[in-house]
Amino acid sequence: MPSKRFDRARPFIALGAVVLAWILLPVVVKSFLQVSFFELQAPIQTTASYARDLQEYWAERTHSKNDLIEAGRELRHVYAGYEFQAQQTEALRAEISRLEQLLRLPSNPHYRYEPARVARRDFAGWWQQLVIRKGADFGIPAGAPVIYAGGVVGRVREVHAYTAVVDLVTSPSVRLAANIEEDSRPVSYQGGLNPALRPARGIVEYVPPDFFASAKNPKRLVTSGLGGVFPPGLTIGYITQLDASTDGLFKSGEVSLDPRLSELAEVTVLVPLQSE
Amino acid sequence: MDRRWLITFATTFLLWSALVQINHYLAPHGAYLFAGGLLVAFAPLRLGLRNGLIATLLIGLAVDALEPVPFGTHLVLFAAMHVILFHLRTRFPREEPIFGVVVALLANLALFLGLSFVLLGGHPASGVAWARLFVDLLWSQLFIVVVAPWFIAFQERALELGRVDLVEESRVTF
Repeated sequence: MPSKRFDRARPFIALGAVVLAWILLPVVVKSFLQVSFFELQAPIQTTASYARDLQEYWAERTHSKNDLIEAGRELRHVYAGYEFQAQQTEALRAEISRLEQLLRLPSNPHYRYEPARVARRDFAGWWQQLVIRKGADFGIPAGAPVIYAGGVVGRVREVHAYTAVVDLVTSPSVRLAANIEEDSRPVSYQGGLNPALRPARGIVEYVPPDFFASAKNPKRLVTSGLGGVFPPGLTIGYITQLDASTDGLFKSGEVSLDPRLSELAEVTVLVPLQSE
Repeated sequence: MDRRWLITFATTFLLWSALVQINHYLAPHGAYLFAGGLLVAFAPLRLGLRNGLIATLLIGLAVDALEPVPFGTHLVLFAAMHVILFHLRTRFPREEPIFGVVVALLANLALFLGLSFVLLGGHPASGVAWARLFVDLLWSQLFIVVVAPWFIAFQERALELGRVDLVEESRVTF
């Protein structure tokens, strides 16, 4: 009889042994296991991503020559506009540099722009993350800001051999110091409003009570540059709703984020030049 | 290396890799599939404790490595679910595919809720998060209903090809 009872308890004894072993396992071994299992799966993710790129390439090959000529013409117009803007940016940079020297101000951090393809999107109700196809092989550091044409994408959380994991700005774990456009007072942004079958939104807190925003009159929320991770002035989203918070001292509300965030195929990592 | 846990882990890993790709394509639509229940359902019902648990622990580690949870969360949850299913398996017609589907659905529900309670602490908008999770759970259960019969048959066939006698294996208690 006791052996039968032991047989019945055996699975639970095994579970207890597994849990105990896991708790007592040194952190180094756990880290090794984590990295090993990630790197084991990385080739699958990158291969699938390359296959999608190839699929896209062959789909684009089906365009007619007339389509390509038309696209080339449009690109020439865009390029001319950007060329003019680049000249203006250069002039402004020189002006900033001159003022920094004149006023003996510490210069803003400089970045190297590292474009990277998105290998995997993982947008659950619990978390929102991307895996990009560049990692330690391109000198990407953990914590580096990630941007795209519409503004902020998120922050690099983990760096692996040739991939990196990015916490998206829609993730509840991402909190940023921000400013409302043309105002220097800091406010707080946090991701986390990810409804089903609809674009993600964020939450803004500690907004001074003299601000008003609505869906008809949205206010642009930009990075403040405080904390030193993101350069100032990058678009996070648009505040579409503001209500007085419970303490009555500040306002809090919702931030509408760019729907393109959920379809990203390419992003740019800002690699701080000081860290190199 | 034992073929039994190796084949079971390989087939489950294949499903997990496919699920990762499906979720990539679902991301723009604000939907997410979780099929943890399906990943752990087969091994406790059809294999001995040791071989089944090894396969479950390995798939738990594979999931933990990709997801932003404390490393070991899926491992412990999957192991606990494995042991519970193993303990209960003699009371049910575990070789019936339909029973496998029901077990996968119930296990998925339990794991999904367990994971949600672990991960949603301190969420800035838990009301919206729970509404989203409820819809995701609905999609996930539908996915399991569709995929589980094929996946169970696939695992059985893979083990047969690996010359594993499932009838003999289901009698093994450890």
